Amino acid sequence: MTAWPLNQHLTAQLRRVLTTCLIGGVGLGTFATLASLGGCGDSPQSAASASGASAASPVVSPDGKKVVRLNFPVAESGFDPATAHDLYSSIIIDGIFDTVLTYDYLAQPAKLVPKIASEMPTVEDGGKRWTIKLKKGVYFSPDPVFGGQKRELTANDIAYSFKRHYDDSIKPVWRFLTDGKIVGLNAWYEKGKKADGLAWDDPVEGLEVVDPYTLKITLTKPDFNFSYVLAHPAMAIVAREVVEKYPNDVQSHPVGSSAYYLKEWTRGQKIVLERNPNWRGGTWDFKASGKDPYDDVIVKAMEGKPLAVIDRVEFYPIEEAQTRWLAFKNKQLDVMNMPESFIKQALPGGKVSAELAAEGVRVQRLLDPEYTYTYFQWNDPVWGGTEPYKVALRRAAAMAINREEEIEIIRKGNAVRAEFLVPPGVAGHKADFASNISYNPALANALLDKFGYKKVADGYRNTPDGKPFVFKYTSTPIAVEREFDELYKKNMDAIGIRYEAEKEKFADSIKREKRCQIAIRGAAWIADYPDGDNFMQLLYSKNIGESNNGCYKSAVFDKLYEQSALLPDGPDRDKLYLEMQKQFEADTPWTLGVTRYRNQMIYPWVIGYKKHSVLLADYLYFDVNMANSGKGK
Amino acid sequence: MMAYIVRRLWQILPTMAGVILLIFFLFNVVGGDPAYLLAGKISNPEQIANIRKQLGIDEPYWVQLWIFVKQVVTFDFGASWSTNEVVSHIFATRLPASLMIGIPLLALDTAITVAIALGVAYVRGSFTDRAAMITCTVAQSVSILVYIIIFQYVLAYKFGWFPVQGWGNGFFENLFKFAALPILIGLVVSLAPNIRLYRTFILDEVNQDYVRTARAKGLSENRVMFVHVLRNASIPIITNLMIQLPGLLVGLFLIERFFSVPGIGREVILAVERSDFPVIKAVTIYVALATMLANLAADLMYKAVDPRVELK
Repeated sequence: MTAWPLNQHLTAQLRRVLTTCLIGGVGLGTFATLASLGGCGDSPQSAASASGASAASPVVSPDGKKVVRLNFPVAESGFDPATAHDLYSSIIIDGIFDTVLTYDYLAQPAKLVPKIASEMPTVEDGGKRWTIKLKKGVYFSPDPVFGGQKRELTANDIAYSFKRHYDDSIKPVWRFLTDGKIVGLNAWYEKGKKADGLAWDDPVEGLEVVDPYTLKITLTKPDFNFSYVLAHPAMAIVAREVVEKYPNDVQSHPVGSSAYYLKEWTRGQKIVLERNPNWRGGTWDFKASGKDPYDDVIVKAMEGKPLAVIDRVEFYPIEEAQTRWLAFKNKQLDVMNMPESFIKQALPGGKVSAELAAEGVRVQRLLDPEYTYTYFQWNDPVWGGTEPYKVALRRAAAMAINREEEIEIIRKGNAVRAEFLVPPGVAGHKADFASNISYNPALANALLDKFGYKKVADGYRNTPDGKPFVFKYTSTPIAVEREFDELYKKNMDAIGIRYEAEKEKFADSIKREKRCQIAIRGAAWIADYPDGDNFMQLLYSKNIGESNNGCYKSAVFDKLYEQSALLPDGPDRDKLYLEMQKQFEADTPWTLGVTRYRNQMIYPWVIGYKKHSVLLADYLYFDVNMANSGKGK
Repeated sequence: MMAYIVRRLWQILPTMAGVILLIFFLFNVVGGDPAYLLAGKISNPEQIANIRKQLGIDEPYWVQLWIFVKQVVTFDFGASWSTNEVVSHIFATRLPASLMIGIPLLALDTAITVAIALGVAYVRGSFTDRAAMITCTVAQSVSILVYIIIFQYVLAYKFGWFPVQGWGNGFFENLFKFAALPILIGLVVSLAPNIRLYRTFILDEVNQDYVRTARAKGLSENRVMFVHVLRNASIPIITNLMIQLPGLLVGLFLIERFFSVPGIGREVILAVERSDFPVIKAVTIYVALATMLANLAADLMYKAVDPRVELK
């Protein structure tokens, strides 16, 4: 066993935990670590060790049931598809409920496949009319509300589930996925609001139930990304009887038609899913992506097996990194996303440590479909606007920020620099693109000199009209943000710009941000669906007050975005994305940050495991070797 | 006695009114707007307004205050804003785990610290006393977080004497398997300051004239220490004990979080992270009420321990 660098760890843990507990109000973890991104594959030694199929799970399983133990770093909130606002609840939702479409387990980049649809939807009228044909024999899991009868899922359930996102009483959080997109849906909502109650039985023109197995959706305008909406866990299908039986409490009574049902739930401590007795079944028949050699190992191990071959899936929310790490090393967890604070011990030099390798542990290192960025407020009198001297200021600040140092010191080598507005693994990403704006403090200084930002007696610069100004960076009072304060101050000092750290609660920042009141702030965006549109919309001016948090406004960018939104992924849209990137760099409303790695640690008894970029219920697609069980720790 | 109790119970009302006003002021002035957290990734002003309406935080302050007062009076704090779980259910399901650690911890801590404090006070100034005090001072200087991290790593992971984390379904399984290490850590953390404190209480009594008189009368040292000294020293000890009692309601934040104990302390941390005001408000009110009742109980115990105490 390797030595444990206690001091180093203690310092990090103490700082982090004390900050969390004393200051509180962190609250933003919910979206911070959404699904990971396929494409990087396994390290060489991991593929070798993955052949350890003889290694068996240490779980004692007297009844022979297959069990896998996973974990969440944050407690779940509840399992209502329309209201769950955290990733971890969505992981459960995706295993309990069905969506129309889902993702191919191995395909790279992510590829949509039917889930309860019998085939991919037919798209007509230039992307406005979508016809969905459903599989027959899809049944909800048993629940007393069904009176002992098997309840089949039909097109009516889809229409109802889509309408639920407009029920204000449940505080829906995913309405933006369909808001203004389906003909008649918003009108139906407005009518219901005026009537003081939604008329659930009233038809919506754009949600036409042709027969129990056919739904026609009419969009207000062409949207080739709508297929991603159909695969999103928030658009999972619920039964109206269940919602009406448990009003405002679907969170704890999730009844779906997918492979699993909620068997046991101790909130924040343990979630147990078992296979839905009414599960329709299916056969594992995915093809290797051809981009990752480990896919062949997975295909060989899994081909022909039933889907959802694991009988029981246990989830343990464990917030503390040390606890997670020790629980994994103690074989209490079968798969774990490596906590950043222990990366150097678990993956020295990017390879599995000798101690873990001896146990047959493999790692899947992959980039999340996300990036971080630092925005400059477009309405700010110093930092925002299109005047050349303001553009020069933003560009100089962007060139002064040393992202390599951020990656090495703050991210512990666990990230890469983000170059393009669409991150890796997301449709529209341009892998060979290199940003014009790179770390170059000398050039940044020269730029500021040229545009009249002169240094005064205190060694810092004033604006061209002689007024002092600051790089006022707003963040939450947590340890990692203090590290950013140190880095940014050093970087701004190097170009003679005063630095000021402004600390406030996350909720307050969001509130001010939506009102365009924050000068400079760091943010992160992770894909809701793996398409570039989900990232490009962050800069669309009509999204100011919603997702365009820097309040960037460019007629050129808007026009390009509107054109791109009408196009499917392809060379034509890629050209537009490149133009948008150029406009973005010309204006520099943000400085792009980094894309972070995810390191999935996997014990050898977990067979066929591969973390997918956006598919959340991956536990439907891998297996566990339970042979030789009975030696549970 | 009964008149005193009734009077003290009446006094809870104005105190509670002050607590209610303070909490209300803090949440509305200092606390962030939870609607922005609950709105999800992409939301527009209309949706934010709807959430504020659903939560009732768009009402005038006096309406919100009245709702809060009614909640306190009825002990019905509604449902969590984040999870929709009824607050009373949160307490009913999380408190047992916290108490399973807190009660044995408090009992063991009291018994052990009083015994050790008596012992070291008895040999005051000796090598044993000095060694004990130095050890306590050093132990007290170390953060609880360090104890948790080291004990979890060494005793649970390296030696395998305890589970690294987790919680079971059976009472005895939880008490003797999962709660054992959290209790041990809690003990180690609390022993040092309490031994020093209780030793001081006892030494204050040891130097009193009545102790000299008792010794002069030829009473045994055991009788002097355990009957005369301990009885008089027990008043500040009871005070200290009663101060700790309300803490049982909020659990042991860090210990519960590190050992994945589904207790109220972990829930409070989650509630703070999520700006889940109904839960935070309920915890604050319960703790305030428990503190007031514990103070009353302490006063009554003073009288029971020392008949010279008059309750007015």
